[in-house]
Amino acid sequence: MILMNFISDFSIPGVILIIVLAAYLKGVPVFDVFIEGAREGAETAFNILPTMVGIIAAVSILNASGLIDILTSLVSKPLELIGIPSETAPILLIRPFSGSASLGIFSEQLKTYGADTYIGRVLSTIMGSSETVLYTLAVYFGATNVKDTRHAVAASLISSYMGMLASIYICKIL
Amino acid sequence: MLNIIWVIMIFAGVITGILTGRMSEISDAVLESCINSVNLVITMLGSMCLWSGLMKAAQKAGLVNSLAKLLKGIFRFLFPGIPKDHPANGAIAMSISADLLGLGNAATPLGIMAMKELSKVNNDSTVASNAMVMFGVVNAACIQLIPSTVLIIRQQAGSSNPSSVIPCIWVASFISLVSGITAAKFLEKFNLPKG
Repeated sequence: MILMNFISDFSIPGVILIIVLAAYLKGVPVFDVFIEGAREGAETAFNILPTMVGIIAAVSILNASGLIDILTSLVSKPLELIGIPSETAPILLIRPFSGSASLGIFSEQLKTYGADTYIGRVLSTIMGSSETVLYTLAVYFGATNVKDTRHAVAASLISSYMGMLASIYICKIL
Repeated sequence: MLNIIWVIMIFAGVITGILTGRMSEISDAVLESCINSVNLVITMLGSMCLWSGLMKAAQKAGLVNSLAKLLKGIFRFLFPGIPKDHPANGAIAMSISADLLGLGNAATPLGIMAMKELSKVNNDSTVASNAMVMFGVVNAACIQLIPSTVLIIRQQAGSSNPSSVIPCIWVASFISLVSGITAAKFLEKFNLPKG
């Protein structure tokens, strides 16, 4: 536990220090390069805004209409039976298919359940350890001639759901 | 893809709203969501600048290339079909390193470049090779050392220790990665390329 806290406390300052020091020792004009990259980051963040507005608006319609609640209550009973908290059902349903929609649900739920509760930690672990696999595969294979992706979708979904289910148990232990 | 998803979400939401009589709640929620999305982007803006800037420095310092060299051994196992000195090796290493470091939007172009190199090894066929599927799976399951987006949102939600979930995320990502590799290695035996 002490080791885990040490790792999580030191990871961010450690990575920052290593990058800055390594760049400086290599003779890179560190601050100039940092500003150059930071400017690109700012552009990226602004470019995300229209997508965020569109997706969060649609998610809020779904939430306010009660549809997500209806779908969630349909699957939550079977999920509870195998030890999966029903609060995680919306994320489990949507995470592999839409990155921005799951991000919207995630930030809403974190406010509702609290970030430091068991549910909050499980949701954070699911979001941090999984990827929008369908989007990723579509983008990568879309750049090639491939029409038949064979077992790519199946293997990615297995990988995604194994990670998400593992999150529920890992957060009980760590 | 998102065109269809968006229409379905709004259509299903509004129809359900009519049935459950929650149209006024929907009106309020839509207007409020615009404010929420701007808040979310404003919160992310500073951190996006910080990490994009640091990653640029890491690239210039050659840290990304050093990571590429470290990963060479694993490639022999994951992508046995790629010739030893083919540029695909470097491209994959760059892409996976970018994923590890959480380069986000820089990782996507690198991943596309790597997939194109793998496609060349596969004679630009319309059927994916084992290596291409494996790369797609590994890339989608890849461990991110610092999941910055999640940390920012946790902080925004009032967490007293946003980074406390990092060890959990590493373990879960590792399980996801191992399951993905196992599934890809297993399924490739049953899902042979035709022709």
